[in-house]
This record gives sequence, C-alpha cells and structure tokens, in this order.
Amino acid sequence: MSLDPSFMWEALLKLLEALPTTLAITAVSVGCGFLAGAAIALVRVHRVPVLHRIASVWVTVIRGTPMLVHLLVIYAGLTLIVDTLTGYFGLGWNSARIPMIGFAYLSFSITASAYCSEIIRSGMLAVDRGQREAALSLGMTTMQTLRRIIFPQALAASVPNLTNFVIGMLHGSTLAFVVSVVDINAKAEIVASTNWKFFEAYLAAAILFWAMTILLERAGGAVERRINRYRKGGVV
Amino acid sequence: MGLPFDISYVFSFIPKLAETLLLTLGIVAGSLLSGLLFGLIAALPRLYRVPVLEQISMAYASFFRGTPILIQLFLIYYGLPELIKAMHIDVTRTPVLVFVILTYGLHTGAFVSESIRAAIMAVDRGQVEAAYSLGMTGPQAFRRIAAPQALAIAVPVLANLTLGLLKETSLAFTLGVMEMSGKAQSLARVTLHFLEAYLALALIYLAVAFILEKLLLAAEHRLLRHERPESAAGRFRLLRGITLRKLASGMQGGASS
Repeated sequence: MSLDPSFMWEALLKLLEALPTTLAITAVSVGCGFLAGAAIALVRVHRVPVLHRIASVWVTVIRGTPMLVHLLVIYAGLTLIVDTLTGYFGLGWNSARIPMIGFAYLSFSITASAYCSEIIRSGMLAVDRGQREAALSLGMTTMQTLRRIIFPQALAASVPNLTNFVIGMLHGSTLAFVVSVVDINAKAEIVASTNWKFFEAYLAAAILFWAMTILLERAGGAVERRINRYRKGGVV
Repeated sequence: MGLPFDISYVFSFIPKLAETLLLTLGIVAGSLLSGLLFGLIAALPRLYRVPVLEQISMAYASFFRGTPILIQLFLIYYGLPELIKAMHIDVTRTPVLVFVILTYGLHTGAFVSESIRAAIMAVDRGQVEAAYSLGMTGPQAFRRIAAPQALAIAVPVLANLTLGLLKETSLAFTLGVMEMSGKAQSLARVTLHFLEAYLALALIYLAVAFILEKLLLAAEHRLLRHERPESAAGRFRLLRGITLRKLASGMQGGASS
C-alpha cells in the first residue's frame, strides 16, 4: 500500500486552517447547549406546570432523531420562514444573507440542549435531598440553594458525562459540511481533491480529532480529580 | 430555494421513505452484530491481560472512540481497498454497503469492548474466586458466573448503543448508500419541498426510535428478571428462571461464535 507521509504532513498543516471553525462550532454548541440544557433540567426537576411537559417532549423528540436531521430541518425550515416573512413584509433581503455557519450553530445548540439537559438533570437528581433541605432550613432562598448547594454538587457528579458530551459535540461538528461550512472534515476533502490522496487527508483529519479527543479526556479527568477533592476521607 | 410549505407532502413522503427503512434497520442490525463480535474479540485480551494484543486492543478502542464516525467512514472506504489490494485481493466490485456496515461495526465494537470490559470488571471478584474454589475451570467460571452477571450490567449500555447506532446510520448517505436520510435528501431535491421531506424523515426516525426503545426496555426486563430479589411468588417459577438464564448465556455464546 502506498502511503504518502509527506503529503499527510502537508494535509495536516492545511487542516489546521480549518481547526478554528471546528472549535468555534463545538464551543458555541456546547456553550448554548449547556445554558439551554440547564434551563430545561431545572424546569423538569422542579416540575414547573405545563413547561415541564413541553421540556420532556422536546428532549424526547431531539434525542429520538439524528443530529443530521436537526441540521436539515433547521436549514430548510429557517430559510423558508425567513424568506416568507421578508417577502411578505418586503424587507428586500433574504435568507442568503444568513451566514451558513449560523445554521450549524443554531442546529447543534438545539441538539446539545437536549443531551446536556439529561446530563444535568441526572446530576441534580444525584444530589442528596437532605442537602437542599438543609440549605433551605438555613434560610437560603431557592436561587441561593441552587447556586451554592445544588449546582456545584450536580456538576461534580456529571463531569464524566459532560466530558463525553463535549467529545460527542466535537465529533458531531463534522456534520457542518452539509451546510457547506468548511470544518476539518470538509477541508480534508478539499485538500485531497487536487491529487486524489483521500486516504492520507482523512488520516490526517482522524489524527487531529484523535489528539483533540485525548486532550479533552485528560482535561475531563483533571477537572474530575480537582472537583472531587472535597470527597476525600479523613478529618482535614 | 424551495417551494411554499405544503403539509400534504409530509404525508406523501412518509410511505416513500418507509420503503428504505428496511435498509436503515439492516445497517443497524449488521453493524450491531459485527460490533458485538469485534467488541468481544477486543475485550478479551484486555480482560486476560495478553501482552501486545492488549495494547493493540487499547489503541483500537481509543481510535474508534476518539474520531468522528464520518471520518471513519471515509477512511475505511478509501483506505481498506488499498490495504487489501496489497494482499492481491480485488474489492473494487464489493458493494459500498459492506464498507458502511464494517465501519459502523468497528465503531460500535470499540464502545462494546469498553462496556464489556467495564461490566466484567464490575462483577465482584469474590464471585469468580468462589467459582474457582468450587473446582470450575476458567472458561466455566467465565461462562457460568462472570458473563451472566456482566450481561446484567452491560445490557442497558448496549441498548443505548443500539439507539445511538440508529441515529448514526443517517450518515451512510455520504458514501452514496440510499438509506432513509439519503432518500429524503434526494426526494427534497427532486420535488423542491425540502422542509416537508426532512420533517417526514424526522417523524419516521422518532417513531422507530420510540418503538425500538420500548422493545429494548421489554427485552431488558425479560432478560434481567432473575436479577431481581426473589419474591415469594417468584420462588415457584424456578423453571422460567432457568430458561432465562439459558437465554442469557446463549446470547453471550452467540456473540462469540
């Protein structure tokens, strides 16, 4: 088998140009997904009337359909809605003005919100009931209890799951090619299209993703150790 | 881009997409079976700490868990024929579906190997020691004691993997396999009713995922019934317990054969 190592190195350098795009998509989807997920988890844990039913349907629907479908539906649906509205009001611009990466941001944040809400919810349910009762009996308000007592413990319990979630979103960001965003995966195809060395290009992309995943795993492990320090036994 | 939204297209697309559902489910089933096989093969050297093979297995699991499935699809599709050509076997006529199932199988196998390992490590060491002290051989202790208990731990994880696989197979279209999401995209392009096609696709995935989840949950309950604390009524249904145990060990055996 003829593997061209010099082209692989060349491809790797070119792929690095697309690294910021991949990282941006991952960061935005994880960030927005985390905030939305926390809100969804809160609504579900506290059984807010009406809203908690909507939240649970949302989570079921998003988790029951592939990430690709979210992207396709958002892309087709949003352009249709925007074009219909701007056409109706005669605003003189259309969906073509929305940057393509915007669709990826929105759609992946939606995907992330459902998965993240389940992680946070299970973390919150893992916090001992007595912790909440103790905080309330000390006179803390509900917000104080959440911020000072529940969330820190819930997050500590869900660090391994959150690490996997971030890695999942990093890998999922490769789907952005569907809306013609040039991330690492799409760049690999572009790099290879000049000389048809697809294998080398994708191998370089795989190595890049593998390295990022290992880094994330290490970081997750470090955070887990740091955050669980208070759990050690003994008196001091 | 597309034509105005018309809900009636969603309903007319559903039966058209449902025709390709069998292919999607076929990919899921094929990948799951090959994934169980790869996973078991990869888990054994790590459980029994076979030198060299253990490191290879760790690298395999790390690579297939550490890279996106999309890139793995392209890697196998472009790389494997070259690799095999070096061994003088021509695979240019092999259907692309084989590559797709192989990739998803390898991908799933990496996760399966980790969950099998974790499940077997979670079985109390004393259980296996007790089996040895009763005079069981290594394979006997594995098959009769460790494997059934590990299965109880691994089954929910495997069920989740299956559901994940259903959604991940939506990427097979990138290699030109006309499964459900590929079909939806071509329907959308032909009729220019993009949103309707994708909504129909979402509805089918949702329905299949929902049914699959219920089936897996039922299978889980049935498979793990003997794991529950024995109740007074349960004691008289010993016969059923034995068949269940046979089923559990049979599944483990089936995966290794």
